[in-house]
Amino acid sequence: MSGIGPLEPGEGTRAWDGHPQQEPRPAGRTRTALAAWYGRHRRITLALLAVAVVLAGGGYLYATRPQQPPPHPDRPRAETPYPVQVVDVTYLDGRTTPAGAPPRSFSFAVLLSVTSGPPVTVTRVTQPYAGLSLVTEPQVPFLTKAGSAHKITITMHVTKCGKAPRNAALPFLDVTLRNARAMQVQSFILGPRYARHLSQALEVACSNGSG
Amino acid sequence: MRQRSLIAITAALAAGALTLTACGSRDSGDKKDSGEGGGTTVVIGVDVPLTGDLSAMGLGIKNSADLAANNANKQKLVKGVNFKIEALDDQAQPSAGQQNASKFVSEKEVLGVVGPLNSSVAESMQKVFDDAKLVQVSPANTGPALTQGPDWQTKKVRGYKSYFRTATTDAIQGPFAAQYVFNEAKKKKVFVIDDKKTYGSGLAATFTDEFKKLGGKVVGTEHINPDAKDFSAVATKVKNSGAEVVYYGGEYPQAGPLSKQIKAAGAKIPLVGGDGIKDDTFMKLAGSEATGDLATSVGAPVEDLPSAKQFVADYKAAGYKEEYSAYGGYAYDSAWAVIEAVKKVVDANGGELPSDARAKITEAMQGVSFDGVTGKVSFDEFGDATNKQLTVYAVKNGAWVPVKSGTYSG
Repeated sequence: MSGIGPLEPGEGTRAWDGHPQQEPRPAGRTRTALAAWYGRHRRITLALLAVAVVLAGGGYLYATRPQQPPPHPDRPRAETPYPVQVVDVTYLDGRTTPAGAPPRSFSFAVLLSVTSGPPVTVTRVTQPYAGLSLVTEPQVPFLTKAGSAHKITITMHVTKCGKAPRNAALPFLDVTLRNARAMQVQSFILGPRYARHLSQALEVACSNGSG
Repeated sequence: MRQRSLIAITAALAAGALTLTACGSRDSGDKKDSGEGGGTTVVIGVDVPLTGDLSAMGLGIKNSADLAANNANKQKLVKGVNFKIEALDDQAQPSAGQQNASKFVSEKEVLGVVGPLNSSVAESMQKVFDDAKLVQVSPANTGPALTQGPDWQTKKVRGYKSYFRTATTDAIQGPFAAQYVFNEAKKKKVFVIDDKKTYGSGLAATFTDEFKKLGGKVVGTEHINPDAKDFSAVATKVKNSGAEVVYYGGEYPQAGPLSKQIKAAGAKIPLVGGDGIKDDTFMKLAGSEATGDLATSVGAPVEDLPSAKQFVADYKAAGYKEEYSAYGGYAYDSAWAVIEAVKKVVDANGGELPSDARAKITEAMQGVSFDGVTGKVSFDEFGDATNKQLTVYAVKNGAWVPVKSGTYSG
């Protein structure tokens, strides 16, 4: 479509002629009319005012009520992690056996690191095999903070060669960990390098047929 | 009277208006998301047993992958891409799995596959996917050869670059079980049974190897037919062998009745198995005498992982009929790994999928790394999960209860 049709009157548009514009009522007249209405409907006016006050007050109290997040029973809050979920233990390498260690002893180092959460205390380090015992340096208990690591030297002593596994594929260390959440024992399977070190050390320690 | 009515009407109208206002303000913060990412549709294929004995695990995997796709869409994780899953039933059969693999390959919209459950099924699918450069991430396969080649014990060689998994392998699971049985349960004589399948025989082998190295004695071995239900002859052999424990390489549909019949034969000894028996159906089949039976499972208990709580809550809220089962968390992470790989490829290609999307996504999978339901998700040079956690569960009061957990850091 083209061309210009009749324009619709816009908002606030007034006709120039037709009905003459009424003179605005003076303020004094309005006040008088309201007073007259109030005189005739006094009880209704008071009641409406009371309702308005109550609603306004209620509305204000509702709008300014303490805001609490809606309960979401399925949405868990962030919790302190279990210690085993934030601790890594890795095998480093063989170490020189301390001078004061008993015969048929050997040493190696592991790295224990804490990735996040509150500090973790190592309260115990053991290994599962009858025929072996161990000590650690530093001695337990010791604490490691998030973002840091502890190098631990472990010295194992062969107490009974017959009860020490000469060729285990996946030997592990049991480490007891404690943090603000829980105390847990975790087996750290240190992999083939540790398995080889353990086998070779046991071979050497038990090669004379003792035990 | 008229005045009172007017007051009552005015008050009622005002109160009604206030109530409506209050309701309106509360609703405004709780808009529903359609879950649609819009634009291109990317299909994630899911291949698992949806029917048959192992469907409890398969349906948990399917639902969990679906949840991951829906969450990615809600988050609009990949702009312009809407993920959806297409699930096919392999009935735990290698032949069906291979047909499903070919079907996924033929569908252009399929850019990644989650599954399968069974290692034997995976063997039949790997080449089909690899030839098409279509990436596959299994949440449940534990057979070491799938990633490390048939001679994995002596020389690890990766056969298929399109195959990845979020589950830990039997190369760790079997020996971990052996260590627990020998050192902690103090059982020195074992009777080993398997179902002759890839998973069962492989797991039994890795257990046996380590158990012998520790000084344990294998007093008998048997293979059962996975289709059989009557194991009384094997149970009698176990009873007569003097075994202190039975190790079974296989899955819960056979493990349950086997445990029951061994006890009924008079051998009140625990049955130990792998992740394939760690399902609640095992208890239903094995009966009350299953107390003390053990299972290892790949991964930490999902319920204990802070990273998994959102998954557990979302799964419940989504209203899936079936439990997420043993591999739900791993299936979610497998699907999410595909989604992350798609994201990498789209981001690197100016916000669009390239014409060789499958090859690029397979390549991108190798570098995927994210904090998933089961912890840090990434893959080593063989396509195996770098996060290797294991848990030993014992049957106690009719439920699997964790009794020991381990982390592989080799």
